[in-house]
Amino acid sequence: MDNQNIITLDNVRKTFRDFWLRPTVAAVDGLTISVRKGEVFGLLGPNGSGKSTTIKMILGLLSPSAGEVKLFGLSPRSIEARRRLGYLPELSYLHPFLTASETLRYYAGLCGLSRKEAASRTKELLEMVGLSDVASRSVGGFSKGMARRVALAASLIGRPELLILDEPTSGLDPISTKEVKTLVKALAAGGMTVLMTSHLLADAQDVCDRVTIVNHGKAVAEGEVSRLETSLEEFFLAKVGDVKDFRLAPFLGVSEKIR
Amino acid sequence: MLSEPLSLLLLISALAIEVLAPVLHLHQFGEAVRTARDASFSALFICSTAFAVFATIRVFRREMESGTFEMAVAHAVSRGGFFLAKAAGAFIALSIFALTVFSTALVMHKGAAIGGEIAAATGRLVRVYGPCVAFGMGAIVLPPVAAAACNRFFRCRFVLTAFLFSALYSLCGGITASVISWGVTARLFPAMLLVLCPIVAVLFSAAAFSMRFKANGAATAAALTLALILPAMDNYYRVEALSRGGALECAEVLLSILFALPAFAAFLLIGVHFSMGRE
Repeated sequence: MDNQNIITLDNVRKTFRDFWLRPTVAAVDGLTISVRKGEVFGLLGPNGSGKSTTIKMILGLLSPSAGEVKLFGLSPRSIEARRRLGYLPELSYLHPFLTASETLRYYAGLCGLSRKEAASRTKELLEMVGLSDVASRSVGGFSKGMARRVALAASLIGRPELLILDEPTSGLDPISTKEVKTLVKALAAGGMTVLMTSHLLADAQDVCDRVTIVNHGKAVAEGEVSRLETSLEEFFLAKVGDVKDFRLAPFLGVSEKIR
Repeated sequence: MLSEPLSLLLLISALAIEVLAPVLHLHQFGEAVRTARDASFSALFICSTAFAVFATIRVFRREMESGTFEMAVAHAVSRGGFFLAKAAGAFIALSIFALTVFSTALVMHKGAAIGGEIAAATGRLVRVYGPCVAFGMGAIVLPPVAAAACNRFFRCRFVLTAFLFSALYSLCGGITASVISWGVTARLFPAMLLVLCPIVAVLFSAAAFSMRFKANGAATAAALTLALILPAMDNYYRVEALSRGGALECAEVLLSILFALPAFAAFLLIGVHFSMGRE
């Protein structure tokens, strides 16, 4: 691992192809980023900018069309590398018929925890996310926010060194959002490396040490949040400038106001 | 397209006819009842296969479409390992299901045959229909009722407990059959193997193709597999002959297993390959 880089993406490209192998979308186009040990790194960008595709390549769920992705200095498909990470997807993918407690024990099993360790870790994490009272209820009946908390607990069950959070505050109320931000800060203070994506720039500004802004699959800016002279939102809009591409604006008669 | 609930409904109907056949037989309906019984036995086999295929496709596609597959393989789990574990789980669950259905049907058939055999040998009428009918009805009614009670009083999961009770009942069926005659048990399990061989091959093809294609595509591929392995389906006739008191050669069972093994291995490899390449 060079200079304690936990994640390294070197000129990575990802082009999706159709059934006849004709290129359809270039989701990621020459992205180079590195995430250092112990930092909270934000991957920001508008919808369709390639953030989720980038995360899926880091997780080994997608293979890059060109370039190289390294996770702990290994291939993302390596079991050894994935043993050390936790992942919270954009949507909380959970088995609806399992209870909150069973869900965590299932993921504990996938992380290779012993039965005893899984039970204690499950109890500990359910308390942490405030779901101890509903531990024996099926997650299919949970609200979006509660399901999000279960998914967050599941991502932490294996005591990961790297936590990948795809829109972690999506679907949460303001109090839960604040709790998640506090949790991310606490985890980072404990030495965990965090990579997160978010549309909510204020959230990213609160927790991230460093950010990369991507647009149309390319990195348009990268830097430390503490060195920003403006708010992250103003910086983001200056770099991405997506308001100019706001296609609905002319139809609503508000294009001049936006510009 | 034939869907999973419909195949389950047909399966239950066929089982009900099987169960009622000896009762109807008592009322001297003759050939018509025998035809209905044979037709329902065929339906049991076909619907079990269809149900196994649709249930497997549903299990795999739900993992793919709900994103839980992604969540699982983002952990320290190999995709091939995940596919193998899931396919093995589907196989075990459906084997228990098939064992329950077929042991019930065979005990019913054999119960009727044994009654005739004893009557012919001893000259006295032995009423074996009653226990056999009770066993068959019990197979349909008792496991769900017991599971519902467990769900009500102990909060046990209904589907899981119903399944376990069915398996337990199936075991009891084997014991009941042994009480009637050891010959039934001795014939029951080789017969199970004969039936399971083609089901397993089709089931694993459905699992493998579900990793690449959507539900309709996977079902079509499984149907093609069924057409390709159709020669093995004469197993059904062997089982039917067995239920009528015919002999079963060990070589036939062995041949069936040997026929199914390459298909089984090939589909496992295809499934692992599809799961590794899935993006």
